[in-house]
Amino acid sequence: MMQVIIFSWEYPPRMVGQLADYVRELAIQLAKSNVKAYVVTYHDYLSGQYDEPEGVKTYRVTNPVRTHIGVLTWVLTLNQEVERAAANIYYSTDKQVSLIDVHDWHFITAAVTLKKALNIPYIYSVESLEEHRSHGANSPFNMGIKSIEWLGMYEAEKLIVKSEWMRNEVVRLFKVPLEKIWVISPKSVNWLKNVLEAYKSVAEGGTSAWLKN
Amino acid sequence: MAKELTIMMLTWEFPPRIIGGISPHVYHLSKSLARNGIKIYVVTCDFPGAPQHEIIDGVEVFRINPYKNPSPDFATWVYLMNVNMQKEAAALVNSLGGKVDVFHAHDWLVADAGIGLKHVFRRPLLTTIHSTEIGRRNGIHFDYEKMIHETEAWLTYEAWRVICCSDYMVSHVRWAFGLPEDKLVMVPNGVNAEAYSKADRNDLNQFRGKFALPEEKIVLFVGRLVYEKGVHVLVNAIPKVLEKANAKFIIVGNGYMKEQLSSLVKNVGLAHKVLFTGFVDDETLRRLQKCADVSVVPSLFEPFGIVALEAMAAKSPLVASDTGGLSEIVEHDVTGVKVYANNPDSLAWGITKVLQDETYANQIRRNAYEKVREKYDWNKIAQQTKTVYEAVLDEYSKTTWT
Repeated sequence: MMQVIIFSWEYPPRMVGQLADYVRELAIQLAKSNVKAYVVTYHDYLSGQYDEPEGVKTYRVTNPVRTHIGVLTWVLTLNQEVERAAANIYYSTDKQVSLIDVHDWHFITAAVTLKKALNIPYIYSVESLEEHRSHGANSPFNMGIKSIEWLGMYEAEKLIVKSEWMRNEVVRLFKVPLEKIWVISPKSVNWLKNVLEAYKSVAEGGTSAWLKN
Repeated sequence: MAKELTIMMLTWEFPPRIIGGISPHVYHLSKSLARNGIKIYVVTCDFPGAPQHEIIDGVEVFRINPYKNPSPDFATWVYLMNVNMQKEAAALVNSLGGKVDVFHAHDWLVADAGIGLKHVFRRPLLTTIHSTEIGRRNGIHFDYEKMIHETEAWLTYEAWRVICCSDYMVSHVRWAFGLPEDKLVMVPNGVNAEAYSKADRNDLNQFRGKFALPEEKIVLFVGRLVYEKGVHVLVNAIPKVLEKANAKFIIVGNGYMKEQLSSLVKNVGLAHKVLFTGFVDDETLRRLQKCADVSVVPSLFEPFGIVALEAMAAKSPLVASDTGGLSEIVEHDVTGVKVYANNPDSLAWGITKVLQDETYANQIRRNAYEKVREKYDWNKIAQQTKTVYEAVLDEYSKTTWT
């Protein structure tokens, strides 16, 4: 049975944009498809474990450092708690984590360490990019986020994007090889089937390919 | 313990990258631990010209690319640097088959990496807190400082044991982060006394001539030119010392107060009596310390005071403010002269006393040297540190993580 950990910085009841609903729908569909689905997400005070009635296991972590000077420092310290929660899942499931699916840049750094330390492959699911969010601004702050996005793409086994346009943008901005990026539209009738196939391919090929190194 | 003890040290500075006191500390500690049969890996930031991987006296050093893009501010750079340090260290431990017994992190600068490695590999984390934000800034005033303070608190929370280099720092850290007493251990900082026993006398006389006239005594300050080091207190004490003794004041180091201090010196007409050298290399520094007729450590906040130990090892009579770690290092009238912190009159009195009474100066210089050899020897410090590692591993072996 495939075991997947999903990283997302937003998840109901905490909604920032559209990602929260999408990730929840994904997790529920995975659970229905005989995939053990864990979601590691952030909540300021509703922290801890919770098993949703639909079969999804959620772990909400909070930031151990309460005061911050910007989103970057906030994200980077929060990542340590995401990493800790994922490591706890890994050790409590007899090290049977097939892969991590990271949604957007926020929790990339945790996924990278987990890959390097424990050989867990990850998929980087790109919802949006700093280049578009900041309308091309390139301050040291934007650069910090872009460098995390770059690291995420470089270390990822595969990328999943939601449109052809985004695939082209990822190639244009980060020079990622085209074949490393899958386009899976949430609107497609084959959405779940394609996601499951992508997971399966990374869980099997990804891990073994990585272990061979 | 049948198996070889393996430690991974995390530090943002390691020679040749030297910014503050952590770099020499980790250098000597890791070398002395290696000499005591411990396998040591040091993961640190890179430096132009230094190899990515090298073995120094049994210590395996890995230098990582920290973060080279422009950064919004220093703290953000630190957290971004930790991403790469953690990534590289994780890959290294993985390639070793997870065979690292303890992660040892030096200061908040490597907090994220240390905490992350602890959890992904489920090995104990130990930290040495060399200094605190609340101490450096004399309180927490802005969000920037508060963030660092909370990161330090988080590191001590995650650490199995917190090592501090003086009894003063033990109580300071305990107060700052509300830690239980049995979590803290005092292991002093050390000094490499052998490094001062080279260079001969004749050579030194000639060297001395480059800095002071033959009839001038040398008063030496070594440290960053920042508020907490109290170098402004020394500058204010100069006229009072000169009333009674002829001396040249040599100020070694750089810092944001340099301009301010040198214009202060000029305005009171003492430019010919004060020499700002900026940074000097190790060899020059050691020779200056050996030449100094008095070494001054006028700090307002000083967690330990390594520069005081260096003066003692160099057999230079020491005048230090009675604060922080300095209070423990110096025994008044025995191994040095203690003066009131932030008090130019008291400092001038201490300097004058040493300059005017040669018998007294020789007596404290001898006692200080003996004290350094007895208490602040790196080999002894390594053995004490090893005992801490073994105690942590013994407790760890009884947990559910093994």
